[in-house]
Amino acid sequence: MKEAKEKKNPEISVSITISTWGAFAVYVITGLFLIFGFHVVRNKYSVDLISDPTLTLRLLWIIEFPIVVIIYSLFRRNPEKCSYFRAVGRSLVGLIAGALINALGAVSLGAPIGMQSLSKTIHWSFLMSVFTVVPATAVLGASWIDWHRIFASLKPIGIIEHMLLVPAYGAIIGGWFGAWPMPLDWERPWQEWPICVCYGAIGGYIGGQMVSLLTFLSEHKNLKLA
Amino acid sequence: MTTAMTCTRLTIFTVAGIFLQILGLSFFVFGFFPVKPTLSGVSGSESYRDPFCDSSPISNESDLHHPEKLKLLYQELSGISSKYDRLILMVIDGLPAEFVLGKDGKPPWKVWKESMPYTQSLLANGDAIGYHAKAAPPTVTMPRLKAMVSGAIGGFLDVAFNFNTQALLDDNLLGQFFRIGWKMVMLGDETWLKLFPGLFMRHDGVSSFFVKDTVQVDRNVSRHLPDELNSDDWNLLILHYLGLDHVGHTGGRNSPLMPAKLKEMDDIVRTMHLRAMMDRSHDQGQTLLIIVSDHGMTENGNHGGSSYEETDSLMLFIGLNSNISDYASATNNVAFQVDLAPTLALLFGVPIPKNNVGVLVPGTLSSLRDFEQLRALELNSWQLLRLMQAQIQSSSFPGFSCNCFLDGTCEGIDLDISECSGDKEKQLICLFRNAAVLHGIWKSKKSTESSSAMEDFSRALDAYNTFLKTASEWLASKTTEKPVLLLGLGVSAMLISCFICATVFLSLFKEVYHEPKDQVCSLSYLLNLEEMFIFALLLILVISMGSSSMVEEEHYIWHFMVSTFYLLLLFKTAKSFNFSEGMNILRDFKFGSIFSLLISGRLLRGWHQGGVNWTYLPDISKWLQQVGSGYVKWIQLISNFLVIVLGLYTLFRTGLNRKSVRILAFGFSACGFLILLHAGRYQDEMSTDFGATVTVKVIYYLLSISAIGASLVLPWSALNKDKSFLAEVGDCLYSIGSAYILCWCLLQLLLQQPINSGPILLLFLQILAILCLSSNDLQVNEWVEIAALYYMGMAGHFALGNSNTLATIDVAGAFIGISSHSTILSGILMFMITYASPMLFLLSLVMYIGAKLRNHSHSTISTHPETSLGQILKLKLGFPCLVPLCINSILLTAYTVVLLLMRNHLFVWSVFSPKYLYVCATTLCTYIGVCIVAATVTYTFSVTTFLRSNRTRHNNS
Repeated sequence: MKEAKEKKNPEISVSITISTWGAFAVYVITGLFLIFGFHVVRNKYSVDLISDPTLTLRLLWIIEFPIVVIIYSLFRRNPEKCSYFRAVGRSLVGLIAGALINALGAVSLGAPIGMQSLSKTIHWSFLMSVFTVVPATAVLGASWIDWHRIFASLKPIGIIEHMLLVPAYGAIIGGWFGAWPMPLDWERPWQEWPICVCYGAIGGYIGGQMVSLLTFLSEHKNLKLA
Repeated sequence: MTTAMTCTRLTIFTVAGIFLQILGLSFFVFGFFPVKPTLSGVSGSESYRDPFCDSSPISNESDLHHPEKLKLLYQELSGISSKYDRLILMVIDGLPAEFVLGKDGKPPWKVWKESMPYTQSLLANGDAIGYHAKAAPPTVTMPRLKAMVSGAIGGFLDVAFNFNTQALLDDNLLGQFFRIGWKMVMLGDETWLKLFPGLFMRHDGVSSFFVKDTVQVDRNVSRHLPDELNSDDWNLLILHYLGLDHVGHTGGRNSPLMPAKLKEMDDIVRTMHLRAMMDRSHDQGQTLLIIVSDHGMTENGNHGGSSYEETDSLMLFIGLNSNISDYASATNNVAFQVDLAPTLALLFGVPIPKNNVGVLVPGTLSSLRDFEQLRALELNSWQLLRLMQAQIQSSSFPGFSCNCFLDGTCEGIDLDISECSGDKEKQLICLFRNAAVLHGIWKSKKSTESSSAMEDFSRALDAYNTFLKTASEWLASKTTEKPVLLLGLGVSAMLISCFICATVFLSLFKEVYHEPKDQVCSLSYLLNLEEMFIFALLLILVISMGSSSMVEEEHYIWHFMVSTFYLLLLFKTAKSFNFSEGMNILRDFKFGSIFSLLISGRLLRGWHQGGVNWTYLPDISKWLQQVGSGYVKWIQLISNFLVIVLGLYTLFRTGLNRKSVRILAFGFSACGFLILLHAGRYQDEMSTDFGATVTVKVIYYLLSISAIGASLVLPWSALNKDKSFLAEVGDCLYSIGSAYILCWCLLQLLLQQPINSGPILLLFLQILAILCLSSNDLQVNEWVEIAALYYMGMAGHFALGNSNTLATIDVAGAFIGISSHSTILSGILMFMITYASPMLFLLSLVMYIGAKLRNHSHSTISTHPETSLGQILKLKLGFPCLVPLCINSILLTAYTVVLLLMRNHLFVWSVFSPKYLYVCATTLCTYIGVCIVAATVTYTFSVTTFLRSNRTRHNNS
């Protein structure tokens, strides 16, 4: 059900645009794969995020990563100059770089550094990278001015850039809030790093998707009225 | 404009607000923390009579002043034969009961058990019986001694007076013993002498002052022991050994010195047991030996809080002749620390102190005869009942009259035993009635020689014990009654002052950011991300104060929020990043500063695993101590060196290359050298020799002279004709500020534990980084930067290993360089150590103002010569003073309200009250810091203005 319309623009930034329904479809697919990931973890390996966070996080990002790359590479900038496989390739680089940035951010906010939490941190940051950096690398590549405009100045243009920006920040903010229960003395297993941060990030990611959809819809209406 | 305030009005309003706050705070503190006991006066012969009888003295007054007669009178009235003539009370400061009795029914660890062979053999033979005596927080020596001898749970504020001991005026055991003519000898901690001046026949007080001395302090006690054990002129011998507590403070529970110290204590126990109790060659009578500890200690050897490790104190009776067969029943007993007072009073035939809430320790009675046991319990019950009468209105005691249970003449009371239910007061009265009735039944049957006497006896015993236990718990919870009016006044005064502070701040805020004339403002001013964040952080802090676990783990909030703020700065800087400019140096500098803030923030967070619940997790300080003290030494050396180099760099940065600056620089270098010398030479030896004290004193003098001299002299020497007025003041303030910071850092390097020298350096770097950022035009408002400085100060406070429990206060450092005991001096030192980081960041405000002035000196303000001094002061000094005061005022007021709401919370004394003391101390710290900043800046401005006007007059003439 890919309703993404391919339309070539003779303007400077040649890109593939997408309708609101297309965005909805992309979100549904990524969300379904996330659920599929949890399903595999529970039924195939019979663990979950609490009992074995390392394995769960690893499976989650390994399942989620290809689908995100496959979908978002369709919307890459300058499709005639940049081949599909190039977009896939650079999103691999983006995965690693994004994981590094996310891990550093988490550590600077106080994630534990010891050896026993190293693997958890690594896989968590890979998942975060899939949520935040990978789609943007697939679409934008190394166009730093666009990166700066979208992520630093918060001025995205068009639906696809909104789709890059809002869920990514949703995941980061969700993860930030997810860290809140950690110092409480409820003595629940999910208060460990990175479990509740992970829940927060996934929640924030999905929340960001919903928010962006709502903005698309309202803008759509406005356009119709105008 | 009406909203624009003049400088004078602003100052007056602020000072009025602060004054109101202090007033409200003192009202609240005296209302909330109980300081007075419930009953005044001293128990006398009336305590041997039913509390419902009229309390006129039994015999004529003249007898009561004669000790021997009084003793006989008490003996006659009590009806309990006193088996013992002498008492040895050995207090081992800070010994956890776990060391001797084990924990949870398990024997103590092998190291500890093997270190105390004699005591363990006594326990195994049944000659001794030990109790885990739960101490009430605060677990500090003086309140605990008071609790032991008076049986009353003291007010929480006692801890504040712990370094200012005063005579104990309430009814207590020692006073009672003195009244019946006992001769008392005290050897050990001089706290006893301060609590009971003039009561001891002989005494040798040692000071708890040299915390690093673990040997001599106990030798000074033990040297008198042979003589005292030989002589028979005393009735009470108190030995208070401090060494074990000192071992704990310096090395923790697992200190290598601990086994040797335990062995020493064990040897003393053996000596006393063999000489004083087994050896009957002297006609000294029967001796009872009691070994108690005033409190326990945490893993790190600190105390003050309410964890199990700290409250688990020891109570060990030797020579009770109770029939205990096995080791488990000799060690696995639980009591309260306050139970010592009634037990000793009844065993030695004196009235129980009036405000005692303790109950007889059950196992101590078994050597008494049946009727004596019940009589003892009855006396204890009467005493508690008297205390209850003071708090329950008399109408709750229907039909109780003098001796009515004995005669069976109580009106309106059926003399049947009933199940007790209903509210607590009714239940207590009912329990007492049951016990009294059963006692009466037993008495009446005893005379008829009934066969069921044994059963009646045990029923009466159980009934008494139930009543005592319930009444004791109820009374202990009741000691915290609050005067509502005082609390209301205090809270409302604080709310008003908070409101005043906020209003003043808002008016200044409006003036600065909404006046189109001013350069800082933009016309369409909106709260941006960082400002929202500062407010959100304040809100989150206030909310988190309501949860006990968040209070315990407060450091997480500070570190998390401050790092988030750094990330926001990074985001903001990235936002303003301009590709056309390329990677010029300025930007790199900016990113570099933010990254250094992030890295140093993370290192600070990881340095000490603070809090309560996760202290066992690994952190940098534990790791460093594990790998060896050599690394700590290196860190100390490097920090010292870097602090001096960087400090001197900032000092010379202004180009103020005058003679005075060079002298200042020399002074600081000399201080740094002396501190290194002190660290290298005296730190490991744990000695308190003369050389160390002199060195430290020289450092103190040098540092204070440098700091005060800098602030006084530098404004006069700054004369540069080329520069504008503000630039000149800016230069000067920058130099003074860097002198302040350098001075404070050097002082902390001296006072703090060696492991904390790393964090001191990191905090210093953070200040430099944030100043570098703000002078590179961070595009963040001034007040946000100041608020951030305040928050960083608080995060640093926790990074230095502090927490919201009293146990983390570094007591050992408070005696560095003091040659004679001085409460005030060591208190000041302790305050300086604890509040090192908030104070450092408040002092950095001077430097911050200087940097701002230097930066803006080329801009428009300086071209307005008509702007008055007051106006400039208001604009430049307003925020640096108001922002910390406002934040602190909001936090203080919010926490006061939280404490009031939590007054019935289970953790009110263990979690919320210590935190409140910290909040009060933070308030004090903020006041002092802001005062210093305001005074320095005002002084510098006035001096420079004066010099300028002089110069222009000179030029004109």
